[in-house]
Amino acid sequence: MSRSLWKTLLALVAAVAVLALGACGGDDDESSDQGGTPAQSAGGGNVTEKLFAGTAAENRANPTKGGKKGGTFTILSAGDVDYMDPGKTYYSYAIGVQQAINRGLYGYLPGDTSKPVADLAEGDPEIAEDGKTVTVKIKKGATFSKPVSREITSKDFKYAIERAFTSNVSNGYAGIYFRDLVGAPKEPGKYKEIPGIETPDDNTIVFKLTKGTGAALAGALSMPISVPVPKEFAQKYDKESPSTYGEGHAVYSGPYMVESDASGKATGYVAGKSIHLIRNPDYKNVDDFRPAYFDEIKILAGNEDNSVATRRILSGESMGTGDIEPPASQLKRLLQSNKPELSAVPGGGWRMIALNTSIPPFDDINVRKAVIAGFNRNAARQQRGGEALGPIAQHFIPPGMAGFDESNGINGWADQEDWMANPAGDRKLSAEYFKKAGMASGKYEGDAQLLIVGDGAEPDKSVSQITEQQLNEMGFKTKLRLVERSTMFTKFCGVPKEKVNVCPSVGWLQDFADPQTMIDPTFNGDNILQVGNNNWPQLNVPAVNEKINQSKLVVDPAERAKAWADANHAVVDQAPAIPYMWDYQAIIASPNVRGVQNGYSTWWDLNFSSLR
Amino acid sequence: MTRYIVRRLLGMVLLLILVSAVTFLIFNVFPSADPALLRAGRQPTAESIARIREDLGLDRALPVQFGDYIYNVFVHQDFGRSYINNTNVLDQIRQNLPATISLTIGGVLIWMFFGLSVGIISAVKHRTVFDRATIGLSLVAISAPVYWLGLVALYLFAPDFGVFGLGFLGGQGSYTPFSNDPVKWLQSLVLPWCVLATAFAAVYARLLRGSLLDVLNEDYIRTARAKGLSERRVILRHGVRSAITPVVTILGLDIGILLGGAILTETVFNIPGIGRLAYDAILRGDLPIVQGTVLFGAFFIIIMNLIVDILYAFLDPRVRY
Amino acid sequence: MALLEVRDLTVQFETEDGIVRAVDGVSYSVDSGRSLGIVGESGSGKSVSNLSVLGLTRGTHTRFGGEVIFEGRDLLGMPDEELREVRGEEIAMIFQDPLSSLHPFYRVGDQLVEAVRAHHDVTKRAARDRAVEMLQLVGIPEPRSRVDAYPHEFSGGMRQRAMIAMALINSPKLLIADEPTTALDVTVQAQILELIERLQAETGTAVIMITHDLGVVAEMTHEIGVMYAGRIVERAPTSELFAAPQHPYTWGLLRSIPRLDSPRDEELVPIEGRPPSLITRPSGCAFHPRCPFVREAHTRIDPRLEPVNGKVDHEVACLLSSQTRRDLWQHLAAGEAPDRARAAVPMGDIAE
Repeated sequence: MSRSLWKTLLALVAAVAVLALGACGGDDDESSDQGGTPAQSAGGGNVTEKLFAGTAAENRANPTKGGKKGGTFTILSAGDVDYMDPGKTYYSYAIGVQQAINRGLYGYLPGDTSKPVADLAEGDPEIAEDGKTVTVKIKKGATFSKPVSREITSKDFKYAIERAFTSNVSNGYAGIYFRDLVGAPKEPGKYKEIPGIETPDDNTIVFKLTKGTGAALAGALSMPISVPVPKEFAQKYDKESPSTYGEGHAVYSGPYMVESDASGKATGYVAGKSIHLIRNPDYKNVDDFRPAYFDEIKILAGNEDNSVATRRILSGESMGTGDIEPPASQLKRLLQSNKPELSAVPGGGWRMIALNTSIPPFDDINVRKAVIAGFNRNAARQQRGGEALGPIAQHFIPPGMAGFDESNGINGWADQEDWMANPAGDRKLSAEYFKKAGMASGKYEGDAQLLIVGDGAEPDKSVSQITEQQLNEMGFKTKLRLVERSTMFTKFCGVPKEKVNVCPSVGWLQDFADPQTMIDPTFNGDNILQVGNNNWPQLNVPAVNEKINQSKLVVDPAERAKAWADANHAVVDQAPAIPYMWDYQAIIASPNVRGVQNGYSTWWDLNFSSLR
Repeated sequence: MTRYIVRRLLGMVLLLILVSAVTFLIFNVFPSADPALLRAGRQPTAESIARIREDLGLDRALPVQFGDYIYNVFVHQDFGRSYINNTNVLDQIRQNLPATISLTIGGVLIWMFFGLSVGIISAVKHRTVFDRATIGLSLVAISAPVYWLGLVALYLFAPDFGVFGLGFLGGQGSYTPFSNDPVKWLQSLVLPWCVLATAFAAVYARLLRGSLLDVLNEDYIRTARAKGLSERRVILRHGVRSAITPVVTILGLDIGILLGGAILTETVFNIPGIGRLAYDAILRGDLPIVQGTVLFGAFFIIIMNLIVDILYAFLDPRVRY
Repeated sequence: MALLEVRDLTVQFETEDGIVRAVDGVSYSVDSGRSLGIVGESGSGKSVSNLSVLGLTRGTHTRFGGEVIFEGRDLLGMPDEELREVRGEEIAMIFQDPLSSLHPFYRVGDQLVEAVRAHHDVTKRAARDRAVEMLQLVGIPEPRSRVDAYPHEFSGGMRQRAMIAMALINSPKLLIADEPTTALDVTVQAQILELIERLQAETGTAVIMITHDLGVVAEMTHEIGVMYAGRIVERAPTSELFAAPQHPYTWGLLRSIPRLDSPRDEELVPIEGRPPSLITRPSGCAFHPRCPFVREAHTRIDPRLEPVNGKVDHEVACLLSSQTRRDLWQHLAAGEAPDRARAAVPMGDIAE
């Protein structure tokens, strides 16, 4: 062979060598981007807990031990917060930022998040027995930052909730948890005073409701809607459509604030790019649980590639992840080599494969049970990182939340509901259910072609593909469409008209530590919307709806937990979906950071983390 | 010549409207995230969704929406507001443009320098080891996907975690505008420039090499040598001068395309340019921003086309208008 | 001493298919003020040998042999920088296609100026004046404005004139013209040839005229060399060549010239066959595959250039005896076909 051919071959070999050397991509593991907040607890000896023993997760038990004041914390995130306005934001990542710059009525410590703790409120909320009155006392002496600089009063909380109902603010959950307030607007519109929020003095708020749903309202006071907002300052910004309070001008009540100028303009917030937090010079520690160790916090968006970000953080200094997770493929390695930098908490939610119960073939409960029985849920979980990242979900109240233990914890009702018994899938049992549905062959015999719409990004993409494969094995003809995540929600799975049969990429995170937030929006037939629907199985069974609606009215915590466990049971009995994971959220920080993960926001608690 | 330019500019306006219409159509025909729902939050009421739709003008008929948009763009230079965070689209683009321009210009300078010199040397030393090596390497450089190349570059050279961490480089995401800090600006762009330039340099090297090889066989090169001119003068003033014309044409087009946003490079290195803006907007169904970036991108390409055509007339006197 | 003397020049190109012997032992010379014609078909080596004089065939795969002596200096072994000083200054060359031989992107005047300033340290202004002067000399009208034109704005004939101007601008001692009229139409051809003749007389430049057309060199050369397959097969003073040609190839060339005074229906007589491969020459006499008068010995023995009848200035490389050749030519000149001529003449070779 001629010399020129040799030389070209050599060049090619060299090229291949370079390719082999450099392949470090790592797969993209999109972090879940549903809103909401999870609670943690000792939730039942599972593999994940054991695996993460010895990691930074243990700092949560003693979050102030070893804390050192000083330093700058740099957070690397992919996306930006949804909103900087505490009255608007509805995203756990953004709520984590709010926890540092604002104090609300109630909040969550990093450790036990099964119950909110009093922040600016004085003590627990008092809920009347009929659930129609909720009274909250407020601490004295807390102040707003410049240029408002005065003491925070009950009127500021009242305004915060009232503004949430305006169309310029348009809070996403006010209409759910606060709609039963006397005089609450039925739809977002102009600013209106709500007579149902009474302020008898500067340090007392009384909520008056038309229905007995006070327990849910009290729980919702642990969300940022309860961050006080000074009316005289914010009103002019709230007049803009949409309001520029938060992104533009704002005042703060927490130990940190967004870097601002004298007029309160948040110069430290560059939309889509960065947030610069500095110490709030006007902050006075009024019975606050926040130690606020760092002097400065820089939050940087745009870090799309999570494996590069992980590398940077681990080899750098004073950095941590924001809304990204280390790639699942690297988790094993990290568990061995980077224990002090790694932390994980239960994500506080569940993931499931929804089956549309409103149209054939899944309008037949036996067909649904057949599918769930035969489905290999272990394989689905494997795509998300396997056993290390969370237990197989058996019902719809996640570990650590009230009602979990009452739902028989990690096992659920597997002994009663045989189709839920085997996470590896039991095809024989599946065949029996198909037979009960009139399909003698033990597989699906109908003509229906199932439309499956899933998220095209990993790992949901693989889960969708596994789902399709298993359905095929059970005799279904299928058509799989993979689309971008928000498109999936807003144009397909959330729109009943589209008649999607299976939605394998859905999940739900809690709004606050109450099982109502996990079951009501997702399985109550009264909450099926034509657009933006979250009851993906479109479950609408009057008996179940009734149980759910009744549970909303229970006030006593112990009874409430039992009531919701019952509702949970009723839902699971309907076999509306295949729950497959109560997943954990893993995060990392640089070696010189003593990271404390907050169980509610599921990422680093900016108030409790510090340098070593 | 002026009449020609005027005709081309008018054509450009028509083309921009057409491009805009196609984008608009794609957006509304193919499913993408519903911006009203994204704005409405997680558990929206039907009323709030309807109100937001009305606010954004999404309840009007499509031709009305489009006509309104075109009118605003061309008459008022108003590109609308983002569906997601309501920022002014033109402001956003203006904010992100300098980064893309910086990336493009730096990349162009580097790849032209290397590409042209390697191309010329390869052609002159035709069939030697140098020539063969550059052919082989350029094949690798052209085939390597930019994103992969960027990741490898970071893996090897990133100042904070690279295997051969080069301290003087800016890390991923360290871009600062030139007006803020020229030194950091330069540091943050060195690695992205090199990654961007690699594939292009290879393309241009091969292009010029091929073009020059053809030109060096021309009779006027023989004449130049017969006149007793120095070899350098023959190669550069007679050879390259002729061979450069196809390179200039392609360069213009490449610049036009890059100014529309080097999405992959900007993403890997986290540079806040037009490409990133467009990418994020597409994911979130933010039509106004997508339209804005598409229009800007189309505009750059069309303008560069025009410039290149005019330039051609200056380069080749046989082609004059 | 001759101005240019080429002795036993060989030029070989190494290619993937083998060694191409483009020039296989060629000798000729030109004196000052004289003109030499080199005639041959494509592939005869006429261009390559003259390009090699100027070193324009040098390359990694070219091998030279023999000598090229110009004013006592050997050009073949001369280093490039020195040779560059000779090119365009002492020896100039013009080529076949003036449109492609001039750079299309530069003005004609600028190209002339470049030729001057490559060898003389003069101002642009002075060089430009000289350019205008030369354009005038070669008969281009309105030279002051024409000097700024581009080559594509000239007609074919004017372009060639401009090339001649560029070649002579530094008053070289030798002009090599490689098929200067082939790309031009007939009337313009005559003008250009006339121009070259005139300039030669005025400036005293020696000229080598390369062509495949004997008609072109009939008027203006003093001596002609006929090349075939990389060698000179006949060399004689011009008038002698036309009067008493000695090589069958030359005969073929002469008979294939269309003549105005021949009958209209008389067919043109081409030479049968095609030029031989320069990699694998035919055995024996290179012309033998196409020669109407080939004999057995010619396929084995390679003839050398020998003087004809003792005349030093007329040489031929042919194995036939000179008597045979004279007889054959008489028949051919009378218009007979080659086979008839052969039949009529007793064939004999030169003594071994």
